Amino acid sequence: MSLRSPLGKVLGVGSAKSGVQHWWVQRLTAVALVPLSVWFVVSLLSLPSFDHATVVAWMSGSWTALLLILLVLTCAWHSQLGVRVVVEDYVHGAAARTVTLVSVLFVHTLIAAAGVFAVLKVAFGAAP
Amino acid sequence: MAEFRLPANSRIMKGVTHAAPPGTRAVRTVRIYRFNPDSGANPRLDTFELDARSCGPMVLDTLILIKANVDSSLTFRRSCREGICGSCAMNINGVNRLACTTATRDLAPEIRIYPLPALPVVKDLVPDLSNFYAQYASVKPWLQTRTPVPADRERLQSKEEQERIDRPAACILCACCSTACPSYWWNSERFLGPAALLAAYRWIIDSRDEAGGERLDELEDPFRLYRCHTIGNCTDVCPKDLNPARAIAEIKKMLLERHS
Repeated sequence: MSLRSPLGKVLGVGSAKSGVQHWWVQRLTAVALVPLSVWFVVSLLSLPSFDHATVVAWMSGSWTALLLILLVLTCAWHSQLGVRVVVEDYVHGAAARTVTLVSVLFVHTLIAAAGVFAVLKVAFGAAP
Repeated sequence: MAEFRLPANSRIMKGVTHAAPPGTRAVRTVRIYRFNPDSGANPRLDTFELDARSCGPMVLDTLILIKANVDSSLTFRRSCREGICGSCAMNINGVNRLACTTATRDLAPEIRIYPLPALPVVKDLVPDLSNFYAQYASVKPWLQTRTPVPADRERLQSKEEQERIDRPAACILCACCSTACPSYWWNSERFLGPAALLAAYRWIIDSRDEAGGERLDELEDPFRLYRCHTIGNCTDVCPKDLNPARAIAEIKKMLLERHS
């Protein structure tokens, strides 16, 4: 039970003076994902076949590799921003929320790094 | 974690049925959420069968009829009975609205009435609005200026400047919008909700107000403002046909412009 006034609770520790950046970058990455996703799907579907050699040859192209890296990074970034909002919405309690948010950030960073590494490895012709 | 199931003492039980008076030809069934904090019992859903011909046109008329003739312990807020005080906001057939401006003939044959969602219930249809009012107070809903008042007149506005705030200023603080917002359900202690944000917007765009920057500073927060995910229930349910969703979007735009 708390005898704190309702206004005291609402004012709390004040405004964070942030949130614009998160909101704006989420929209920017969403816009960037439209052409990247369309290119990815169209480009994959126009491959003559999906066997290993064809796909590796496709990924070794400079433009393909470049756009794939952008796609992986933008996807991971956008997803991290979105999942962060979901966690803030539904996970209550400062400790649980902080731990979840940090894990979300780490997992997304790992996925992004792994994706970029994979594209580079194929693009620069290392034996699979 | 989020709670998706009501706590055990909030689950609604079967209530009592008050049968229609003998000789009733057209029966109107009204089911009403009842909760009495003194009894220690769970909330229940009571059924009132009424003579449709004795009911007035609005849902509020029906509630007053029940209180006068069937069960005087039925508790609800009402005052102006013409949609301007905002007291009788409640959840009627699944939608937050004012009982006094909702015609019974527009509703399905059976009427179900609950208090506004996701607020602590004081008794029956009376929710605790302390947090809601504190959120309204927190946006400082009054004129703030540095320029002294002109000695010979009021602070003037052009006609266009008045028209900009005309609609947002028509909010009656009934709380239909905020309590219809899922984001508000999950985070009402930190998200200000559509009603308070509409009030903040009304003062930010007021041509006479000189504290717009400070007002935006106070709103620039991942929870206070950015919990709004443009769901739009607020605008859907507003009994005064206002547009809190658009007001919130405009606030977000102003914040962005300030940064770029």
